[in-house]
Amino acid sequence: MTEKSATPVSAGHLLTVSDLTVRFRSHGEAVYAVNGVSFDLDAGETLGVAGESGCGKSVTNLAILGLLPQPAGRVEAGSVQLSGRELTTLREEELRKVRGSEIAMIFQDPMTSLNPVLRIEEQLIETIRAHRDVTVQAARERAIELLVAVGVANPESRLRSYPHEFSGGMRQRVMIAMALALEPRILIADEPTTALDVTIQAQVLDLLRRLTAERGTATILVTHDLGVLAGMADRINVMYAGKVIESGTTEELFAHPRHPYTVGLLRSIPRLDGEAGGKLVPIEGRPPDLVAEPVGCSFYARCAWRQERCALEAPALVQIDGGTQPIVTTGAGATHVAACFNPVAQAEVAEGRPAAGRR
Amino acid sequence: MSGQRLLQVKDLEVRFPIREGLIRERTVAEVRAVDGVSFEVAKGEILGLVGESGCGKSTVARAITRVVKPTHGSIEFDGHDLAKAEGEELHALRRRVQMIFQDPYASLNPRMTVGAIIQEPADIYKVGTTAERRARVSELLGLVGLDPRFADRYPHEFSGGQRQRIGVARALALNPDLVVADEPVSALDVSVQAQILNLLAELRQQLGLAYLFIAHDLSVVRHISDRTAVMYLGKIVEVAPSIELNAAPLHPYSIALLSAVPIPDPAIEKKRKRIILKGDVPSPTNPPSGCGFQTRCWLKEKLGNPERCSTESPVLRETSSGHQVACHFPEKA
Ligand SMILES: Nc1ncnc2c1ncn2[C@@H]1O[C@H](COP(=O)(O)OP(=O)(O)OP(=O)(O)O)[C@@H](O)[C@H]1O
Ligand SMILES: Nc1ncnc2c1ncn2[C@@H]1O[C@H](COP(=O)(O)OP(=O)(O)OP(=O)(O)O)[C@@H](O)[C@H]1O
Ligand code: SF4
Ligand SMILES: [Mg+2]
Ligand SMILES: [Mg+2]
Repeated sequence: MTEKSATPVSAGHLLTVSDLTVRFRSHGEAVYAVNGVSFDLDAGETLGVAGESGCGKSVTNLAILGLLPQPAGRVEAGSVQLSGRELTTLREEELRKVRGSEIAMIFQDPMTSLNPVLRIEEQLIETIRAHRDVTVQAARERAIELLVAVGVANPESRLRSYPHEFSGGMRQRVMIAMALALEPRILIADEPTTALDVTIQAQVLDLLRRLTAERGTATILVTHDLGVLAGMADRINVMYAGKVIESGTTEELFAHPRHPYTVGLLRSIPRLDGEAGGKLVPIEGRPPDLVAEPVGCSFYARCAWRQERCALEAPALVQIDGGTQPIVTTGAGATHVAACFNPVAQAEVAEGRPAAGRR
Repeated sequence: MSGQRLLQVKDLEVRFPIREGLIRERTVAEVRAVDGVSFEVAKGEILGLVGESGCGKSTVARAITRVVKPTHGSIEFDGHDLAKAEGEELHALRRRVQMIFQDPYASLNPRMTVGAIIQEPADIYKVGTTAERRARVSELLGLVGLDPRFADRYPHEFSGGQRQRIGVARALALNPDLVVADEPVSALDVSVQAQILNLLAELRQQLGLAYLFIAHDLSVVRHISDRTAVMYLGKIVEVAPSIELNAAPLHPYSIALLSAVPIPDPAIEKKRKRIILKGDVPSPTNPPSGCGFQTRCWLKEKLGNPERCSTESPVLRETSSGHQVACHFPEKA
């Protein structure tokens, strides 16, 4: 059961998403949900995805997994390759094999992946046996191992429980157990702790950190909480209006944010260790409706650094200071890229505003 | 607390009966939602109230605004006991204590215009002439940073942050002394949350308001509050000036809570020592004996499980000026 499919990857990345474009169409209207998202992911990495509500974090992940709501949602362009294998054109039954065994997902609401009328035992065993040729007894033993791994006490008796008999934090752990049952190579965790209290969040994050490190699982961790990303992610993609607008290693992004939106996010959150009574610098206005084809930079309307050019042309996601090194997309040496014509200078980061005379 | 006292809550208890049986209904158990809570709020002060889901924060808010009647205890507000007030007296007091809610969508009547919503308190209390009430609506909209022309529109035409501003305008309509804000920014995106936090801080300065500011997010509470009270299982376990609570927490629960709050700085996160609490919060229907925190307390374990923790409920006592804690062994933490 622990045998893994041989991975013939030599040059490519574990996951390569390129120029992914997703639209929703209904009642003659289109929603431009994801507008050309590209990134790579390698084994053992945790990629954090940040951004406010509606910026396309979840839709990107649903598209990767082939789970877009039908018939409204469609991948209109771009590709998703898992070890060189294109996923966007796979048939549903093949996709189903990929989901769970190669890419697993955990959601904010555990009840979306747990069946309320089945005991945990049946659900875990069914998941395992659907993908692996093992006896019920072997699957049951594996299920117990998994519950132990996620810190559920008395796993043998807890197997007999229904999901509603668990607390929120426990259900989240059971969902993690289920997601990891097949030792997926990629785990997509979409706001896995948003609904939990902080002490329970700490338990669940600790568990995720430990399990993914032990197994070398690549993780995509979506959360609007930059504090969680600071402690969990190796790299971060900041999204806005369906695009990645800045990307880099976690250290680099927090120390030297260059996109005005990233700076805005960092300056709007109160910090536990921040200056007491200090003033927050909010981002004025609100994110654009994605019902119109984006023209120019999508942050233009709210941006304090904007210039005329920004209204007309969409900035590309590029290496900001135009270094001569080739761009690295994954790992600890990943290149810092941002999509902005007038990036924030280091001296402006602390203030959260452009320096006088800058505009 | 420094300054003149505005609100003094003493030994507040709110219990909800759990009833069973269709024909002869009987009480089979009780939820001790608020289990002996005492605190004070000074004029113009912001007291933050934090704690995890179900610890009784909203029930405290609902007792102070008298949406629920306390089972026991007193709520002294400017010489009156809100816990016992009825009729005329209660009506007059309610005017001075207003509430802002978490969900700006659910708390505004979708069939009323924004103007009518903001004017409603003045209509109920028959304050001013019709023209004066209209003028006041414009003034209030301006105060919360909205265009006075929005008065003719309906709530669904506004974003979450704008709706929260409308809720703030309505709460301020009658010039209250105390605003009870129950998770006022929890449903908002961070950029909008910052707008509302700044607005609430400005209004306090401008109008000399006092807030009881409830949130589960410690960073938010620390940012806005002068003092912070930490609740656990229906009780306040620690109160201190916000800066002091953060720098030198004394209750083992506060210490664990603070250590678990993520800080948006990778260098700090890497070095942090987190205290991961085991298990879940016990049910308020059947709280543990002795200290409410003893089932998850790391300090109790470290001290070799002293008997006192499971036999005697620690009272909230002052350890230094303005710093109170309910633990038998705070000096050992
Ligand atoms: N089924 C759908 N039909 C139409 N539009 C949709 C649908 N699902 C999502 N969208 C739109 O796609 C955009 C991106 O949504 P998405 O759920 O990815 O946001 P998100 O970044 O995950 O936000 P949140 O933080 O709120 O979860 C939004 O504008 C949203 O309204
Ligand atoms: N009307 C009611 N009847 C019975 N139990 C109630 C009632 N209202 C609240 N409770 C219970 O009282 C306890 C405290 O609830 P309360 O809503 O005050 O918590 P809270 O701290 O505001 O939580 P949250 O952070 O989730 O809003 C909970 O166990 C809750 O289930
Ligand atoms: S009284 Fe005991 S159990 Fe309660 S917090 Fe203090 S050390 Fe922990
Ligand atoms: Mg989402
Ligand atoms: Mg509440």
